[in-house]
Amino acid sequence: MKKFLIRFALFCVVFFVVDKAFILVRNKSPELEVDKRLEMVVTGKINADVLVFGSSRGARSVIAQQFIDSLGISAYNLSFPGSDITFHEFVLEQVLKTPGNKRPKTAILVVDDGDELKPSKSLKFRLDRMYPLVKYKAIRDKLVERKEKKPVINELLVIHQLNKSNFLFKQRKFTKNDSIMPCGSMPIGHQKKTFDKIYGQKPYLYSQQGEMTQKIRAFRSFVALCKKYQVQLIVAIPPNFRKVSTGFEQRMQQMLNGYGVVWKYDEQNPLYSNPDYFFDNAHLRTNGSRVYTAELVRYYAKHRP
Amino acid sequence: MIFNSLAFAIFFPIVFFLYWFVTNRSLKAQNILLLVVSYLFYSFWDWRFLFLLMFSTFLDYFTGLRMHDAKTINWKKFWFWLSIGVNLGFLGMFKYYNFFAESFADLLSNFGLHVEIWTLQIILPVGISFYTFHGLSYVVDIYKDRIKPERNFVDYAVFVSFFPLLVAGPIERATHLLPQIQKARVFDYTKAIDGMRQILWGLFKKVVVADGCAEWANMIFNDADAYSGSTLFMGAIFFTFQIYCDFSGYSDIALGTARLFGIELLRNFAFPYFSRDIAEFWRRWHISLSTWFRDYLYIPLGGSKGGTWMKIRNTFIIFIVSGFWHGANWTFIIWGALNAVYFLPLMLTNLNRNNLEIVAQGKWFPSIREVFGMVITFIMAVFGWIFFRAQDVDHAWKFITGIFTKDLWKAPNLPELADLTIFFILFMLVIEWLGRESKYALEHINRVRFAPARWVFYMALIVCIIVLSGKEQEFIYFQF
Repeated sequence: MKKFLIRFALFCVVFFVVDKAFILVRNKSPELEVDKRLEMVVTGKINADVLVFGSSRGARSVIAQQFIDSLGISAYNLSFPGSDITFHEFVLEQVLKTPGNKRPKTAILVVDDGDELKPSKSLKFRLDRMYPLVKYKAIRDKLVERKEKKPVINELLVIHQLNKSNFLFKQRKFTKNDSIMPCGSMPIGHQKKTFDKIYGQKPYLYSQQGEMTQKIRAFRSFVALCKKYQVQLIVAIPPNFRKVSTGFEQRMQQMLNGYGVVWKYDEQNPLYSNPDYFFDNAHLRTNGSRVYTAELVRYYAKHRP
Repeated sequence: MIFNSLAFAIFFPIVFFLYWFVTNRSLKAQNILLLVVSYLFYSFWDWRFLFLLMFSTFLDYFTGLRMHDAKTINWKKFWFWLSIGVNLGFLGMFKYYNFFAESFADLLSNFGLHVEIWTLQIILPVGISFYTFHGLSYVVDIYKDRIKPERNFVDYAVFVSFFPLLVAGPIERATHLLPQIQKARVFDYTKAIDGMRQILWGLFKKVVVADGCAEWANMIFNDADAYSGSTLFMGAIFFTFQIYCDFSGYSDIALGTARLFGIELLRNFAFPYFSRDIAEFWRRWHISLSTWFRDYLYIPLGGSKGGTWMKIRNTFIIFIVSGFWHGANWTFIIWGALNAVYFLPLMLTNLNRNNLEIVAQGKWFPSIREVFGMVITFIMAVFGWIFFRAQDVDHAWKFITGIFTKDLWKAPNLPELADLTIFFILFMLVIEWLGRESKYALEHINRVRFAPARWVFYMALIVCIIVLSGKEQEFIYFQF
């Protein structure tokens, strides 16, 4: 038994030392990323009066540069395709709590009509965006909070902080669908091959049934953060290539609970029923994004704090 | 509590310490400790079902004694059928009642009769299929006068509830495990190291290979309509390795853990994907269940001794019951029946005991004929697993027809990270191939005389396990 315990202890000590070598892997990962926006957030390098949050609809529909060009204010888009409200809430929290970041005057939350509070295959907490940045404590703490990693082991072992994506030692590149402008926006110029261009005539009736508690909590927390840090909140509903849904706008209004406003695009504008302005049924194309952002800028100019 | 959890990482060293340093002077104290910690282990999942486990244990213990002491054959039969009836009754109620009720209602609806059925809204107690089968084999063995009943309740209860095997086997026999529980255990350095090694390999198979495969298998099975034929085929391949590495990984951890307590459990897997025909596959897959059905169902039914029709009937019965044991769904029944269809030609031509020795024994590489046999058997298994994994028969059928499209010959559309999983599958296969003449893949790693090289290999496995361990994933066989 003595021999067994000594050998075991020795093995653990050697392993503990070897583990520390993985700091090199951990530190290398952020350098390989092409999208540096989240790293800017957790290292306190965000400096804008208007910040845009959302999923691909936020990233593609709102061109932050138009705020800069039209109003002479600083603006930046922090929308991540495929992310949900739990991720947006995390990003906002980091913007507000990380020293070095400028507190924004306005947060524009671009919501996913219908899916914002409901389960969705395409929207999730973007763990793949988190793991390359595990060298930062805020990221590690969030992964533990989400039960992706175990608290004590996470502090003890560097390898426990890592994920398989940290071992893909390959420089990431921009793709046709994911190119980021200096203002953080990701408009898309072409159209999806499978886009059927058939305008949805049937209005979508929104029902609260099936909403996720986790997403409701994250949405409320997003609103509460804005309120606490005195950030003007605009919840923006972008167009789909179909008739507007009924009920969703009221639900968003209800979720705001008196703080912030829900802003919707001009439903009468015929451009929003023209397929040339859309990438697919749910996303605008660059020309459509310009029209939509211009409308949003006009609204903002009238209501800026 | 599951083996790949933080709770178990804390629980296990504490139990190990108490077992070898506090209760080591008394066998009775060691067995009481094993029983208490086994119940604690089980109650981590749901303490309410602990009472069911206790009741089942007491019932088999009590009826075993009554059968042995019965003055007449009628009383012996009474106690025997009471135990069998109650055990199967619980299993039937928790696991199969809803299936039969719903199937009956569906059948009636085909005749235009619509009935309101009453279904149970309860969860399946984890491990019920395993501990019920422990108890059944014990009761049958006493009834057939193969063994004498155990008079020490603690010893018997440890046999049923020993925590490494409690929730997913191996399905032990009283003749194998009880004598070990009754005998004083002495710590053995070599066995302990061997146990640690088997745990390590089991964790690697579970966390690195099975959970890695699960990610892609789930993605493809859950959205089968969206993928090409070749991608669907890859999905089935991923599930094939997921189910093997998940379950054999669990068995390796269970065997290794038990060995650290000085107890040897029955072997459950013997490298089944290196089988040259389906009969060999079934001698190497879930061995403790296959032999259980052989001894307590197939042989009592007459086995292969009767005429051709008797052989066919018994083969279908054993495979279908084996499929049904996994769960109350037609997919499992079809999976069982499909394996019977695979097996029958071999049995009817007396070729079912052709490949009894280890493939390419004493050689580095198999012959062309062996490779051919292994590939064909593997592909047959892959198609069987599609039924096992599918939500229903319709899903399985769509999945299979989706494979056989012109896209089957195009490159599969998989995410970049799937390459890493494929690498780990190949790595696992190489290690298992090299270790196929042992009880488990790493058993003879001591042949590598240079200790630092062994340590580097162990550390590489541990690094993979820790890096790839995300949220704790349950073992598939917990649901059975």
